[in-house]
Amino acid sequence: MQKHAEKWTKKHILDIASLSREEIEIVLSLATSFKEISERDVKKVPALRGKTIVNLFFENSTRTRTSFELAAKRISADVVNFSSSSSSLTKGETIVDTIKTLEAYHPDIMVIRINSSAALYCLKKFTQASIVNAGDGKHEHPTQALLDMFTVKEIKTTLEGLNVLIVGDILHSRVARSNIFGFQKFGSSVTVCAPPTLLPFNYGQSGAILTSDLDQVLPKADVIIMLRIQKERQGGLFLPTIREYVRDFAMTEERFSKLKKDCLILHPGPINWDVEIVSSLKHKVHPRILQQAENGLAVRMATLYLVGTKQK
Amino acid sequence: MQAKTRTLIKNITIVNPKESLLADILIEGDTIKQVSKNIQEKADIVIEGEGKHAFPGFVDLHVHLRIPGREDEEDIRSGSAAAVKGGFSDICCMPNTEPAIDNEGLVSWIIEEGKKVNLLDVHPIAAITKDRKGCELTEFGALKAAGCCALSDDGSSVADSLLFRRALEYATMHQMLIISHCEDSRLAANGSMRESYVSSKYGIGAIADISESLAVFRDIEIAKFVKARIHLAHISSFKSLEIIRNAKAQGVKVTAETCPHYFALTVEDVEASEFDANFKVNPPLGEKEDLLAVCRALKDGTIDCISTDHAPHSCSEKELPFENVPFGFIGLELSFSLSYTFLVKTKILTLNQLVEKMSYRPAEIIGLKNRGMIKKGFIANIVVADLNKKWQVTKESIVSKSKNTPFLGRTLTGLIETNISKGRQVYSL
Ligand SMILES: [Zn+2]
Ligand SMILES: [Zn+2]
Repeated sequence: MQKHAEKWTKKHILDIASLSREEIEIVLSLATSFKEISERDVKKVPALRGKTIVNLFFENSTRTRTSFELAAKRISADVVNFSSSSSSLTKGETIVDTIKTLEAYHPDIMVIRINSSAALYCLKKFTQASIVNAGDGKHEHPTQALLDMFTVKEIKTTLEGLNVLIVGDILHSRVARSNIFGFQKFGSSVTVCAPPTLLPFNYGQSGAILTSDLDQVLPKADVIIMLRIQKERQGGLFLPTIREYVRDFAMTEERFSKLKKDCLILHPGPINWDVEIVSSLKHKVHPRILQQAENGLAVRMATLYLVGTKQK
Repeated sequence: MQAKTRTLIKNITIVNPKESLLADILIEGDTIKQVSKNIQEKADIVIEGEGKHAFPGFVDLHVHLRIPGREDEEDIRSGSAAAVKGGFSDICCMPNTEPAIDNEGLVSWIIEEGKKVNLLDVHPIAAITKDRKGCELTEFGALKAAGCCALSDDGSSVADSLLFRRALEYATMHQMLIISHCEDSRLAANGSMRESYVSSKYGIGAIADISESLAVFRDIEIAKFVKARIHLAHISSFKSLEIIRNAKAQGVKVTAETCPHYFALTVEDVEASEFDANFKVNPPLGEKEDLLAVCRALKDGTIDCISTDHAPHSCSEKELPFENVPFGFIGLELSFSLSYTFLVKTKILTLNQLVEKMSYRPAEIIGLKNRGMIKKGFIANIVVADLNKKWQVTKESIVSKSKNTPFLGRTLTGLIETNISKGRQVYSL
């Protein structure tokens, strides 16, 4: 663990885009060690004893918050949870005020989830703590991508030379934005597939291949990440109906039969069964997705440990 | 009767729209009495101008003074002080206030308040529609009689094309100028920056350039149809400029302004600033192609003038994440130095062309007489600047109540040393 921490230089983890391949490798390799710990009887290590971590969630997400909370506890940090519904923050002012208030407790790390894209570049100015991005608007969700990469590496043994396909609402997805940069740093090819209304403008510059033809790109994929579709996207502006989305973009039995034998399907969850993936495929894809959740814990322990020990 | 004050500026390079000359300027009262070499007459005040430049006082067609309603952000005194520091002798203030400037009472009140501060002339622009709601026309005739210099619903477009047609038509009767904030609000909805690879990479709510150019096209078509004049505010994009250039070639009575940030900054700067709230403005900063098009359009006359769109916001409003802050930043104190640094030093415009964009044309567009040139008989609005001086933009250097500007920390060239408004020295360094 020590040797990982020595190589780590970043104070914050705000995005995948600015992490180097080497830095991602440090996180993943450290996460492997932490995963072993999680399989022991005594699951706790004193790695961050005496450090304080604030989980600051301006947007509801029980799953991510729980994962971060448990990760912090497993490495013996003191954890404070602070949640504030986004509606009370529509005026905005309270975001910075809240950070300033919490700063009085001298936290070492703030784990922040917020519905405003790229907000953490601003918020970091108001705290001495290291910030770990737990999802900022439509921008990035770095620990989700790290856990996706961790899972892929575990199963495929490599992150190089893969064809990674991301299907769904790319436009509004912070998971997609993080994964697109992450996988490409290892020399994998990333294809994003969505109706044109859900593809970001001028996005070719990201290096990803853009398409709306799922059936054409499916057979080549080594890894498929199915994104959650927000039901409110239907009805006019982005999608006519969910039914129409399912027709062209859902993982159906038929599409499943065209996949490579060892194609790995991931989903950041929670899955809308029969929207992104038909429920008859549940027994085939669900175990992998549960494995993702377990890996999430290890990856979050690793990120908290790295920024936590970086701190003086 | 007391004798009129006489000011003599010696040996200065006088920059007019068409030519420059090294001479002396004699001011008597509020008027330029004489411009020639070696003036020997006696004066109460003598300013040595050697090595300096004299410009006709600048005219800004687009300022948000925030009065009435948001005096915490700017008021008539701080706004006037910022303007004279920036070399302005006339500013036009937008009516998107609380309440909106949509009646004679408010128009004359602003003129009166401006006179009380007495640093420069403040010309209110009145709303096109009542309460800027885009539903009913205001009383153009009465507003003009009260002294408004133009009409605008700035902050938004008049979305209803029929109502906008009627506004343009009706305004012709009173020879009034309509200033349009060109934006298709639906296309711009929930946006914080120009739709670009940068907005896509960071998932920032985006505004497509066509939200401006579509409105530009509509407004020009309507103005052409009803044979009205129209002035287009803060033009920022390549596509809009193509449309305006084409319309001008056809003889449509359209004029256009841009602002310094559109020839100084792009989306790349927004990214490099790590989404500093001070870089959020509407219309949003464009791509390199847009910046180059703005420069070209200034040069070829497609853009008539440079305004600031001076938009003060309190610190607490700007101390928030990018998507959560309001649009706009201040500009009055920086406009000249930015224009000199980014347009003249780079040889895009000559000093004479700059004077045309900052003084002569804007005065002409709103019909201010005897302004925009340093010439015998003209109003003595004169700015003295040292074009060799470099200075750094700091919060401390800003006199506006609000300190929000993307140029904080930048070093600019060209410093205003003295501002003479109607013969009176209203600012000196
Ligand atoms: Zn405007
Ligand atoms: Zn404006």
